[in-house]
Amino acid sequence: VTDQAQAVADRRVHPGTIGLRFLKDLPQTLIGLPALFSVMADTGWQYVIPLAAGAATILAFVQWIAWRRFRYGVGASEIVIESGLLSRNRRSIPFDRIQDIDIERGPLHRLFGLAKVKIETGAGGKAEGVLDSVTLDEADRLRRSIRAGKSGMAEGAETAPALAEPAGRPIFTMNPVRVLASGLFNFSLIWVAGLFGLLQTFEPLIPFDIKDPGRLLGLVEENGNRFTLGAIAAVLLLALALGVVSGIVRTTLGDWGFRLLAEGKRLRRERGLLTRSEVVIPKRRVQLALFRTGPLRKALGLGELLVQTLGSGQGQSGLQSVAPFATGAEVDRVMAEFPRLHLPDGEALTRVSSRHVLRVAIQTVTLPLFVIAVASTQRPEAVAFVPLLPLLLAGAVLRRRFHRYGVSGNLLFVQAGFWKRQLWALPMANAQSVSLSRSWLQRRLALATLAIDTAGAPGFGGPRIVDLPIERARELSALVLAQSSRDTASASRAGDPGS
Amino acid sequence: MDLKPLERGQLGVMLVSSLLVAVPPLVGAAVLLTALRDKTGLAPGPLIAALALLLAYPVLVGPFRRYRTWGYALGEHELHVRHGVWTQIDTTVPLRRVQHLDVAQGPLERLFGVTRLVLHTAGTANSEVVLPGLTRATAEAYRDDIRAHIRQEPE
Repeated sequence: VTDQAQAVADRRVHPGTIGLRFLKDLPQTLIGLPALFSVMADTGWQYVIPLAAGAATILAFVQWIAWRRFRYGVGASEIVIESGLLSRNRRSIPFDRIQDIDIERGPLHRLFGLAKVKIETGAGGKAEGVLDSVTLDEADRLRRSIRAGKSGMAEGAETAPALAEPAGRPIFTMNPVRVLASGLFNFSLIWVAGLFGLLQTFEPLIPFDIKDPGRLLGLVEENGNRFTLGAIAAVLLLALALGVVSGIVRTTLGDWGFRLLAEGKRLRRERGLLTRSEVVIPKRRVQLALFRTGPLRKALGLGELLVQTLGSGQGQSGLQSVAPFATGAEVDRVMAEFPRLHLPDGEALTRVSSRHVLRVAIQTVTLPLFVIAVASTQRPEAVAFVPLLPLLLAGAVLRRRFHRYGVSGNLLFVQAGFWKRQLWALPMANAQSVSLSRSWLQRRLALATLAIDTAGAPGFGGPRIVDLPIERARELSALVLAQSSRDTASASRAGDPGS
Repeated sequence: MDLKPLERGQLGVMLVSSLLVAVPPLVGAAVLLTALRDKTGLAPGPLIAALALLLAYPVLVGPFRRYRTWGYALGEHELHVRHGVWTQIDTTVPLRRVQHLDVAQGPLERLFGVTRLVLHTAGTANSEVVLPGLTRATAEAYRDDIRAHIRQEPE
């Protein structure tokens, strides 16, 4: 698209919108009326009608202003939307980025013969442009001109590519034994916490006071015979058992009969005991792979493989588990479906800067140390907490051991976490933006945190490398940007079945 | 990297908006302290002065520092934005990753003659990258420039 003709926002939505929005807001206003009446009870009823009329007039006036201030226009290659009363906003949405044009008609819309047009670029969950409301003809015209403007977009290209390969080829399945084993590792401490909450609720029935953690931890004297170590052990065991059972139940409900099928250019996942869920993952929409494991699972050579997809239309956005509990060989087999992705294969990953430990030490130990110092001026026994500080340091050292990164061809690997070990494999071309942040302390230690934003990531918690040496962070950032911002069309899609 | 500073008008926007945040509570506190003078037995003058002094840094010095940390550079393939006083954040957006663009102006910004350019990407944590403090003409020129990068990708 070379046409750079300016799109002019010269159209307004249908004037009927004013009436429509007015009617839509009316219920809220009606709810306010009883309040009005209660105020009016003293001043007399004759004011109620004029006041209500006044309120309605103001409401209608606001809607009229909003209508006047909202303008849109369709150019040769983009749609522009101007909005805002005090704060003016002019949005440009290029046709080439538009994934979906939805036309929505509620009962009120039908009453007015109007339609709401939602323009989505497939970036987030919500529509990026909403025209509320235009006539049906106008909605149709918009849809047609946007489709025509989109260079080479075949209508309905998104749907039904599957017919060529009707029966999917299973690439990963879980039998009942596997599901139960997986459940064992889904042990969750939340349930233990929940149990203690429950105990607190039914406290009168329990032969000891669980509110007092000091006594719970072994002060036997006060309650003598009733409060024993055996009771504590029983409670902890019960909590543990509950944690294990709940993990198994949750996993069984969710992952029963897990099947991942390859169907040409997409994968299909089915799972679930009571509710069978089915998710389609178009390979070319896959942004990155994430391998999750823990210390024990790692020792057994097991882990979970997920892929992050950018959703649009029928495809779901976010992280999708494609192998919840798999051996290394099984993970490799699933990964083979994505020719452009692979997990580090003998490539040594580099640890982050050794100054990471120093920074974490300063940040985590300073405050407790200060508190202890202040407390010890009043109560000298506070010094007893000092031996706990090395534990915090040990945690920092451990975390650094497991925080690594590496580059292999077009891929960036990031590993983080000790208990929850995560390993990202990200095609650098898929980076949406790159942030390099340096806190005050990091600047003093010549460190930086590199965060790479990717499409379809679940809120926060994407690939982030904390405490790289600053020059290394700059190099890495430049490397990622070089692949992401240049037109390397061939490398832009991770899951593209190459050749 | 050579970064361009924001327009001076943005400093005005930052100053006035921090004043708008700080002054009403200060006035409220002053009124309250004066009204309750008999009850508390405290002289309101020194207290109000102390409060004003406490607010002086974030309100009068803070905006200058924040303004100075902002900088940006529009390259051939990417937009680079830096800001942050305590934690400095350098964000780089590859222009071909931009999904859509906003040129926005609030009432204060209109008063000081500056405009905001907002780049939306398909990312999540950082899907909106804001570049404030541009003249309207610059913002529109940049928008057109960036839009030229958005072309059909092989999907």
